[in-house]
Amino acid sequence: MSNGRFEIAGDFWSLLEQSGHPLTRPPSAHPAGGSAGHGLVDTHGTTVIAVKFDRGVLNVGDRRATANFAVMYDRAEKVLSVDDYTLLAISGSFARAMDVVRYLRTAFKLFERTYLQPMSLDGKLAELARAVREGIPEVLQGIGGFIPILTTFDKAAAEGRIFFYDGMGARFESTEFGAAGSGSLQIRGVFDYIVKTKKPFHQMTREEALKEALYLLDIAADLDAATGGWSKVLPLAKTITKDGIEDVSDDELRELVREIERKP
Amino acid sequence: MYTPFDFNEAIGHRKEYIEERLREGSPVVGLAYDGGMMLLTVRRTQRKIYEIYDRQMFSAIGNQSDIEQVRLAAIQRAHKEGFDRSPDDVTLHRLVGFELSPAIKRAFGDQLTSPFVIKSLFAEIGAPGREDVFLVLNFDGEFRQLAGAAAIAGTQVAEDRMMERIGEPSPARSRDAAMRLALSAWIVGAREALRPRGGHKDEDDLDMLLSSDSAVDESAFLRDELKTASVEVGVLERPGGRESRFRLLAPAELDPMLADHA
Repeated sequence: MSNGRFEIAGDFWSLLEQSGHPLTRPPSAHPAGGSAGHGLVDTHGTTVIAVKFDRGVLNVGDRRATANFAVMYDRAEKVLSVDDYTLLAISGSFARAMDVVRYLRTAFKLFERTYLQPMSLDGKLAELARAVREGIPEVLQGIGGFIPILTTFDKAAAEGRIFFYDGMGARFESTEFGAAGSGSLQIRGVFDYIVKTKKPFHQMTREEALKEALYLLDIAADLDAATGGWSKVLPLAKTITKDGIEDVSDDELRELVREIERKP
Repeated sequence: MYTPFDFNEAIGHRKEYIEERLREGSPVVGLAYDGGMMLLTVRRTQRKIYEIYDRQMFSAIGNQSDIEQVRLAAIQRAHKEGFDRSPDDVTLHRLVGFELSPAIKRAFGDQLTSPFVIKSLFAEIGAPGREDVFLVLNFDGEFRQLAGAAAIAGTQVAEDRMMERIGEPSPARSRDAAMRLALSAWIVGAREALRPRGGHKDEDDLDMLLSSDSAVDESAFLRDELKTASVEVGVLERPGGRESRFRLLAPAELDPMLADHA
């Protein structure tokens, strides 16, 4: 309170900074701050995949979250909506990623309610870049790093769009696909193989693209110890089209998974 | 020397100053209906009904910059609370009682600060198991909670007459019926607030128009107002598919009601 009137913050990040929220506070300021090796092991989400299709963009992710060699959780949701047309697929440190997802949801809503118009796509991408970048001190201490993929439906261009980030918060737009997490490196070349030998993802139907994404996830689970397969729990899949975000039903996923497994 | 008498005197002056400025503000009516809650007002260029958070909306009369201050403070504090705890923990009672009201009271009582020239009406659609709430926050920090119906206007008399017109709140009303009643209460309040004070009847035409309670005169008054203004209705709807329950009604949704007064 200043001057007996209200103190108004410039944006949600500064509002959290004012109150010293941990999301905005470098870990050196934490009482227990220090280098990694305190025995603190954070939980990590593993492989997430985003590909375009003719009417939008879709995300799939396995359900595993690991801490070192332990499987912490086999029903993790790593593809999360941040508004009606935007999904965030997260890999890496679960704790910070979940905070960032909540941060973005709140920051986007706060912006829209304050200025009476939705935040622009560039504005949203910049908010996410800041949230990734501000986590660097934690990453340097060996905890907390996470890499997101942001997918959205661009109404102006009438197409799905995929953005991925590096650990410093640099943002890149992908024309066809994106992947992050421990299994993503192993399958990187397969995306290109599909595009070169079949067709670009953005020309595929939803069913075609979904099936390719599930194949990719299956390969990641085969080649990466941390990525969960689907023998016990089905993966998670969501699409974004001009009508918004939609979950791919378990029935449809189960059918596709069966079909993939029937093949030799 | 500064005496208790001076304090009373100064507060009195401040009250008078603010009331004079609020006097001609376009009233706001709040009504519960079968599908949710609504706020109705008539505005000129500036929008008057705003979303605060998932279950809360707000409107006010007063100084535009003070309205913006209170609106932004309410939005920021609600979002902070929703982020720190859960969206379900954001309530009007906490927002107004612990955040907005103390600051407004402090500004009103502090002789070195300009007071807020604002009277606010908040609405909150209850989470399952919680009541729907209207909350009126006055320029001196006083607030009161109401169920079913609420009204703010430039004068106390205008507010009383609006509440009389609304009568016994009936949340089972349809949206259209509630909207018609709210508009009729708005007319009563706006006419009352414009009525000349102290029996000085120098504006005869205006007085003629304002002194009669007949439906014909009320419609004429509304038509006259709507030459330079428009009706604005914001609703909080009972949970549907979307997270956000607030929306402003589209002009087409208001047309049937306005046709009554054509």
